[in-house]
Amino acid sequence: MIGCIFNIDGGYLEGLCRGFKCGILKQADYLNLVQCETLEDLKLHLQGTDYGSFLANEPSPLQVSVIDDKLREKLVIEFQHMRKHAVEPLSTFLDFITYSYMIDNIILLITGTLHHRPISELIPKCHPLGSFEQMEAIHVAATPAELYNAVLVDTPLAPFFVDCISEQDLDEMNIEIIRNTLYKAYLEAFFNFCKELGGTTADVMCEILAFEADRRAIIITINSFGTELTKDDRAKLYPRCGKLHPDGLAALARADDYEQVKAVAEYYAEYSALFEGAGNNPGEKTLEDKFFEHEVRLNVHAFLQQFHFGVFYSYLKLKEQECRNIVWISECVAQKHRAKIDNYIPIF
Amino acid sequence: MGNLFRSEEMTLCQLFLQSEAAYACVSELGELGLVQFRDLNPDVNAFQRKFVNEVRRCDEMERKLRYLEKEIKKDGIPMLDTGENPEAPQPREMIDLEATFEKLENELREVNQNAEALKRNFLELTELKHILRKTQVFFDEHEGGLNPTESMTRALISDDSVARQTPSGPVQLGFVAGVILRERIPAFERMLWRACRGNVFLRQAEIESPLEDPSNGDNVFKSVFIIFFQGDQLKTRVKKICEGFRATLYPCPEAPADRREMAMGVMTRLEDLNTVLGQTQDHRHRVLVAAAKNIKNWFVKVRKIKAIYHTLNLFNLDVTQKCLIAECWVPVLDLETIQLALRRGTERSGSSVPPILNRMESFEDPPTYNRTNKFTHGFQVLIDSYGVATYREVNPAPYTIITFPFLFAVMFGDLGHGMIMAMFGAWMVLREKPLAAKKSDSEIWNIFFGGRYIILLMGMFSMYTGFVYNDTFSKSLNVFGSYWSVNYNASTVMSNKDLQLNPSTTDYQQYPYPIGLDPVWQVAENKIIFMNAYKMKISIIIGVFQMLFGVCLSLWNFIYFQRRISIYCEFIPQIIFLCFLFLYMVILMFVKWTNYGPSTGDVKTGPYCAPSILITFINMVLFKTNSAPAVCDAYMYSGQQAFQMLLVVVALICIPWMLFAKPALILRNKRKMHVPLNSNHHNHAMGSENGDAEAALSQAQVPPPLPPHKEEEEHDVGELFIHQGIHTIEYVLGSVSHTASYLRLWALSLAHAQLSEVLWNMVLRNGLMFEGWVGGIALYITFAIWATLTIAILVLMEGLSAFLHCLRLHWVEFQSKFYQGMGYHFQPFSFEAILDSAAQGPEE
Repeated sequence: MIGCIFNIDGGYLEGLCRGFKCGILKQADYLNLVQCETLEDLKLHLQGTDYGSFLANEPSPLQVSVIDDKLREKLVIEFQHMRKHAVEPLSTFLDFITYSYMIDNIILLITGTLHHRPISELIPKCHPLGSFEQMEAIHVAATPAELYNAVLVDTPLAPFFVDCISEQDLDEMNIEIIRNTLYKAYLEAFFNFCKELGGTTADVMCEILAFEADRRAIIITINSFGTELTKDDRAKLYPRCGKLHPDGLAALARADDYEQVKAVAEYYAEYSALFEGAGNNPGEKTLEDKFFEHEVRLNVHAFLQQFHFGVFYSYLKLKEQECRNIVWISECVAQKHRAKIDNYIPIF
Repeated sequence: MGNLFRSEEMTLCQLFLQSEAAYACVSELGELGLVQFRDLNPDVNAFQRKFVNEVRRCDEMERKLRYLEKEIKKDGIPMLDTGENPEAPQPREMIDLEATFEKLENELREVNQNAEALKRNFLELTELKHILRKTQVFFDEHEGGLNPTESMTRALISDDSVARQTPSGPVQLGFVAGVILRERIPAFERMLWRACRGNVFLRQAEIESPLEDPSNGDNVFKSVFIIFFQGDQLKTRVKKICEGFRATLYPCPEAPADRREMAMGVMTRLEDLNTVLGQTQDHRHRVLVAAAKNIKNWFVKVRKIKAIYHTLNLFNLDVTQKCLIAECWVPVLDLETIQLALRRGTERSGSSVPPILNRMESFEDPPTYNRTNKFTHGFQVLIDSYGVATYREVNPAPYTIITFPFLFAVMFGDLGHGMIMAMFGAWMVLREKPLAAKKSDSEIWNIFFGGRYIILLMGMFSMYTGFVYNDTFSKSLNVFGSYWSVNYNASTVMSNKDLQLNPSTTDYQQYPYPIGLDPVWQVAENKIIFMNAYKMKISIIIGVFQMLFGVCLSLWNFIYFQRRISIYCEFIPQIIFLCFLFLYMVILMFVKWTNYGPSTGDVKTGPYCAPSILITFINMVLFKTNSAPAVCDAYMYSGQQAFQMLLVVVALICIPWMLFAKPALILRNKRKMHVPLNSNHHNHAMGSENGDAEAALSQAQVPPPLPPHKEEEEHDVGELFIHQGIHTIEYVLGSVSHTASYLRLWALSLAHAQLSEVLWNMVLRNGLMFEGWVGGIALYITFAIWATLTIAILVLMEGLSAFLHCLRLHWVEFQSKFYQGMGYHFQPFSFEAILDSAAQGPEE
């Protein structure tokens, strides 16, 4: 029944999105890409894929940053095309996706101004999906309260920020705390929004978002070892919508070192598998990569079902992963550092 | 001309080219456009091929040319398209070209950079000018008050601070002035209010004329603003916000005299800048005009080079690296021409060793190549859009040239509408060259233009059928004078509504109107009934003959491919089935037409006893006896019933014949042939091993040779029967439904005639009913409506619908009888095609 109604508003966009998804590079393409000797070869090969002539008007010699920009530009154009054609509730859903980029942009700008970098240098580094009108004036604010009152109150991020206002001044530590608090509030809000939407969207998205929440919780814990962050403060940063909630999070809050985190993950089948064989030694994949792989798997699964919004989220995430892969390969090619060129994460 | 009936005979050739001569030879072949190269290294990456560097250089040149073209278009300079087709330049010329483009691009970039810097300067000055002008208004307003600063202070600062500060004299307010994008104003204002807690005062005014953005030349609308504030802290904060919103701030002196002076200075600088800008633009224009003259030429050259290197990338290198090996499909008839072209290429490159062209044996299906000219091309496209003919299969296109417009005309028969269509077609045909040179982007126009000869023929045939139907915009033409006459006296005619003309009396001259329909039918009440009977029969007759012709074409195919089994087990039962049932019905129609009439005297052959062919046919198939009124014969000739039964029984026997005979025969043959076949195979392999070296080489080159006789070997019994079953059912049911399907000829013709009659009666007739000058005006209006509707509905829409029905009749009813359409197109390497697609590519 939902399927019948879904297509009225979302059918075209879902079809479009699935079409875009077919353009994602396959394993065979990666095998070809890693054989490239120069960036020109890379360009030539990408011309044969869905990317077409997106680099045709770039004068040689190519730079990795140019490739990165162009890849991102293409993705952003596709996403914004879908956003412009979307109606409620899909439009809100797509907006929710952009909020995470907004959070990243805000944190980037604040950190930048903290280090006295000119704002004009920082703006190009911001992700275009997360840009908003007041963004560039962010350096007016010196305290979180000011930040909220002057800049963020008009943005959709305002409700997420309410928890952060108490912090006194913007130093490195506090910025990290703000970022994680914001992200926590955002993830929980997004999770609830998807739950309200119900149906297949909820099934698919809650799965992905729950993983995202747990990943953040685990990473925060691991990164907090050896810093002055207290355990109580740390516990406040955990997003409470994952599978770890509530027992796992409580256990994580007590953890003192990597081994204890691993022990917590042992209780959860899917996460224990990720910790297996993860490590920093050569030949082993880092935990981060393992997480990325798992994320890709979840996102690919989203395409197995129809009539839901998860495909849009998954498409964006997969495409981002692809951009990271291509940039990684181009970096390796450009620096003639071929030993680690195979560390990309294949999607299909 | 003979090869229009079948596709061209093709052969796979191997080509040995000297490395030095390869480029020139391929270039010659590209001009010729008769050779389809095969990719000999399909598993080599695009960037690992031999000439990838050259391709890349061409890409780079193309990019530079595109940049130039973009700039030329931006300035609106016409690009000279002489239509000339320069030869592909020699590889050594490539360096010259590269240098030229490089120089041009650099020059242009430099000019553009200068221009941009100047424009930015210009923009800043213009903004400053506007600021000075607008702020003047703000300051004037305030000076109009009693005590300017005091009134401002009061408005801005809370009461107690005013009270505290008044003793120490008026407070000095700072201000900044600047320009901001107009759409950013609301957010800017809100932010200022929030960040400064309402302690600033903002005035703004719109700049009416749009300003030009120097980086991309877009027009942007901006606003001038001025912000008043107090104290340094607020100042830094305001400045930060301005920076954040990308507002540009300008110094603005406080004293009116200073402002005036500054304005003067700005004006003079603006003027200076204008002259410099003009000179830069002139220079840019000169560069571009010079480039515009050659750019099309250059594009052609670069694309040709690129195409040649792409083709060379498909070739194999031989062991000694001295020559390149290519494989290509070539029409057998053109081998000579190709040899000549290769020789020319060798001479041009100055190489001494001639290229070698060897014919090769291949088990692969060759591509289908139908040589067409501008007239047959359109019809060939109609056929190919259904499916490309299997190699050397009968090509329906030559028959379609006549049958397609004819069947169309049967549905579209109207002298007037046909004439409009024919004139449109004729116009396109006569002005072919200038119209083709225009290269319109409109898809609809291109479809019409591509089918201009089809349209012309359709129009002319429609005029003919319209003449036969005696139908011109739903009216009849009385060319030869009617052969009927009214013998009633005037009062009878006036007072009686239903009068009949009896053809057996003097009302009719006893011989028919010379050609077409007698115009008297135009006024007859039973015109539609008469026309229906006539058109229905005509449709079935045409249909049955076209299908018969289709079945006969299948015989031609079977003979050509030497499929004896198919002749005995498919063609013969098929033709018997069709003839004994449907051709017999057609013959009955002719019998009825000739034997029955009003003036024979005998009641048995009179109108009263004329049998219904449809009922007769139904009874025949159902084995029922005909019933007739007492005075009439139930049958049209003696022994009809027995004869008909025989026909039906034989036709029914054909069904199992078609169904089982062929698979059974194939099975039997297979059992017999199995052992000898295997030994044959062995011998064949031995033979090629013993053969000369070249043959062995060519065998090795062929990618996995398909096993011969694969059809018989791979198909298992079940599949064979199912296939044949489907085929038979399709044919048997098809011949019934297809015959009925031809009735669409009548249906559309009826619809067309009725629609045009309705249009005449409801629209144009109203205009003809008034008298005097009112009639002129009424006619003027109604004619306009009538003419528009005639063109839009009757010619365009009805034409389209008749076209589609006609297409269906050809694709389904006609071609299903013989056409397989399993081939693939011959796509020769031709510069013409490559340039055409490249020219269309960027505009899409």
